[in-house]
Amino acid sequence: MKCASLVAALALAPAAALAQGTLEGKVALPKSHFAPVMSEHYEIVSKGGILATNPPRAVVWLEGSFSKPSHLPTKQIAQKNFAFVPPLLAIEVGTKVDFPNLDDTYHNIFSYSPTKRFDLGRYPPGEKPPPTVLFDKPGLVTLRCDIHEHMRGLILVLDTPYFTITDAAGNFRLANLPAGRFTVKAWVNSRSTWEHRVDLKPAATLHVDLP
Amino acid sequence: MNRAAERRPAGFQRFRTKLLLAMMLIICVLTSLGIYVAQRRATAEAQARLEHDFQIEIAALDRLQNLRQAAVADRSQALAQNARIHAALEDNALDLLYPSAEDELRDVMASGTTATLHARFYRFLDHRGAVLIPPREISAGRLRPNEQRRLSQNKLSRTMQTGYLARRDAAGNSTVDEMIALPIRSTETNEVIAALVLGFKPLEAVGRGSATGMQSGILVDGKLQLSGLEPAARVEVGREVERDLTQGEGKSHSLRRQINDRPCLLFWKRLNPHSNYPPAYEVCVYPLQQLLAHERRLRWKILGAGGLFLVGGFAISEFFAGRLSRPVEKLLVVSEKNLGERRRAEAKLRTTAEELQRSARFSADASHQLKSPITVLRAGLDGLLARDDFAPEVYEEISALVHQTYWLTGVIDDLLLLSRMDAGRLQLNLGTVDLTHLIEQWSDDLRALPETEDLKIESDIPAGLQIAGETDFTALVVQNLLDNARKYNRAGGVIRIQVRQKDEQVELHIANTGRGIPVEAQPYIFERFHRAGTDDVPGHGLGLNLARELMRLHGGELRLLRSNAQWTEFVAIFRAATTPARDRG
Repeated sequence: MKCASLVAALALAPAAALAQGTLEGKVALPKSHFAPVMSEHYEIVSKGGILATNPPRAVVWLEGSFSKPSHLPTKQIAQKNFAFVPPLLAIEVGTKVDFPNLDDTYHNIFSYSPTKRFDLGRYPPGEKPPPTVLFDKPGLVTLRCDIHEHMRGLILVLDTPYFTITDAAGNFRLANLPAGRFTVKAWVNSRSTWEHRVDLKPAATLHVDLP
Repeated sequence: MNRAAERRPAGFQRFRTKLLLAMMLIICVLTSLGIYVAQRRATAEAQARLEHDFQIEIAALDRLQNLRQAAVADRSQALAQNARIHAALEDNALDLLYPSAEDELRDVMASGTTATLHARFYRFLDHRGAVLIPPREISAGRLRPNEQRRLSQNKLSRTMQTGYLARRDAAGNSTVDEMIALPIRSTETNEVIAALVLGFKPLEAVGRGSATGMQSGILVDGKLQLSGLEPAARVEVGREVERDLTQGEGKSHSLRRQINDRPCLLFWKRLNPHSNYPPAYEVCVYPLQQLLAHERRLRWKILGAGGLFLVGGFAISEFFAGRLSRPVEKLLVVSEKNLGERRRAEAKLRTTAEELQRSARFSADASHQLKSPITVLRAGLDGLLARDDFAPEVYEEISALVHQTYWLTGVIDDLLLLSRMDAGRLQLNLGTVDLTHLIEQWSDDLRALPETEDLKIESDIPAGLQIAGETDFTALVVQNLLDNARKYNRAGGVIRIQVRQKDEQVELHIANTGRGIPVEAQPYIFERFHRAGTDDVPGHGLGLNLARELMRLHGGELRLLRSNAQWTEFVAIFRAATTPARDRG
């Protein structure tokens, strides 16, 4: 039974690849307070209770009902230099995330977010295996450290396999998409998510600017 | 001395008593003043001491409260830094707020902690100031819903707030909790996102009111929590303080009131100035019975001291009155003695004066009594002279008798004048007398006499010489001297009249030739009725005496200058008129 489903999946895979489409575009990110240096580095900030990345980045995903993959790769958010690395992580529902401690001191990562409440307790640097949490519900998860109050991390749990994080300019590209009518969404901060209806044609590239 | 004391005059005793009374009065006034001031001061000091005690206790309470608030503030700071509480508040996980805080506040809630830091309850307020209800399983301290509502604030304050919550504890006893509301700020925005309210047992100063029976409590929402007082008294104290609060502005005050008919001193002080919570006041009740008893004791002490002082004062007054009056007593005795002597002297003087008066009056009376029969006699003799049926020698006899009556009249006039002088009744009307004119007048009269036709009168008188004196008596002196100069002159002799002015004096020299006055008789010529072997010369021996007395009465003098075989010279010294120029003008 298990073998049959695996075979079926393998058989379907080329067909999906054949029908693949691409979605690219630009998310109008809010102006950054920092100089417009195109840097890979950013952090999570809270302003008036709104969490966002700084310099701004957006998470863009395609919403629809897609088949669940049987296995998802384990992701990782490390604690390094008293910060979460990466600060913002987008994952598909059902993904496990490791929280390795790469600092020289204890961390206690926890979340009170309704999406996922967990408390890893205190663990020393380099603990093996690193504490792992399974995120089984879509939504935003705020990561905090009980010991280091300033540490903030975000995990956006998405019910889709098609998602990406824009670059500092807001450009994104989603490839290998199935054809059909979907909604493309862009998460800008904890309060603002923009969306756009798209009709993806097979083997076509669609350009969408958000909002 | 003893005799003097025995014979103390009544006036002296009165003086002594008055002195004693005056001193006693002063001492009494001073003593009562002293008692009054001492008592007032003692009362004021006792009240000030109580007020001072109260202020000290309140200050100690303040310090303790500040310490607790500082400790609690630290705790809230830590709490606000706490990531879990932040997460609960910021990540919309309020259900996790109390569980997150439970660990953090466990030590504060533990009954084992220091009494001052043992919280009875705690509650969180959300960003609107409303109370967040703790889940059932969390031991955040039991509060009834209506009590819990009183914790809320209309608007979250940015500063620590203190309030007092009157409530019933688990056993149903009324109690007061001190609430400290601490703002919790967002570490990201620094805005107040919540508040933590901690309820403590109100602080009590250590050892307060132990000796004075003082009781203290907290007045909040118009109700006084003071377990030591019976309910009626509690209500009354509360009402009194509330009434005082409505009248006064200040943050503290003291007042004296009857509580349950017992005098009490009340103090109150606002416990939570500048608070969003309803005002609460620390109220102290000092029963004044002890203080009043102390005051009574003090009053008796002061009165006793005053009494002792009075007795001492009395003794001292008595002593000093005696000491002070002794010189007066001596003076009195001496003056008494002097008075006796004076009285005796006065009586003697009076007797002498009376005798003198009597003798003078006798002379005057005698003179008057004598003059009348002489006048009658002369009239009779004149009548006889008028007849023409007597022999010629009879007429001579009668003429001699008439002459004798004139002589007698002269003697009597002189005697009358002398007696008036002796009696001091002769009044001189001093004026200015033109001596030159007077002498000239009298010398002219002298020349006109038949007896002086062979006499030579030499006069050397400056014109218009004025003297001070009475005209009649001056004339009498001049007449007397000139008459003597004529009577005692020899036949064909000389009368020399000289007047000289020497400064304030005018000297009248009258000299005559003729036999002189015998040397042995010269000292007596001015005595009355002295006639030194001059029986052949008419006279009665009063003239010179009278002249000298008159001169002396005028402030002048009459002296015999010389008397020898050739010349007999008298000098009369007059006082020159003080302002002759004016008088002459």
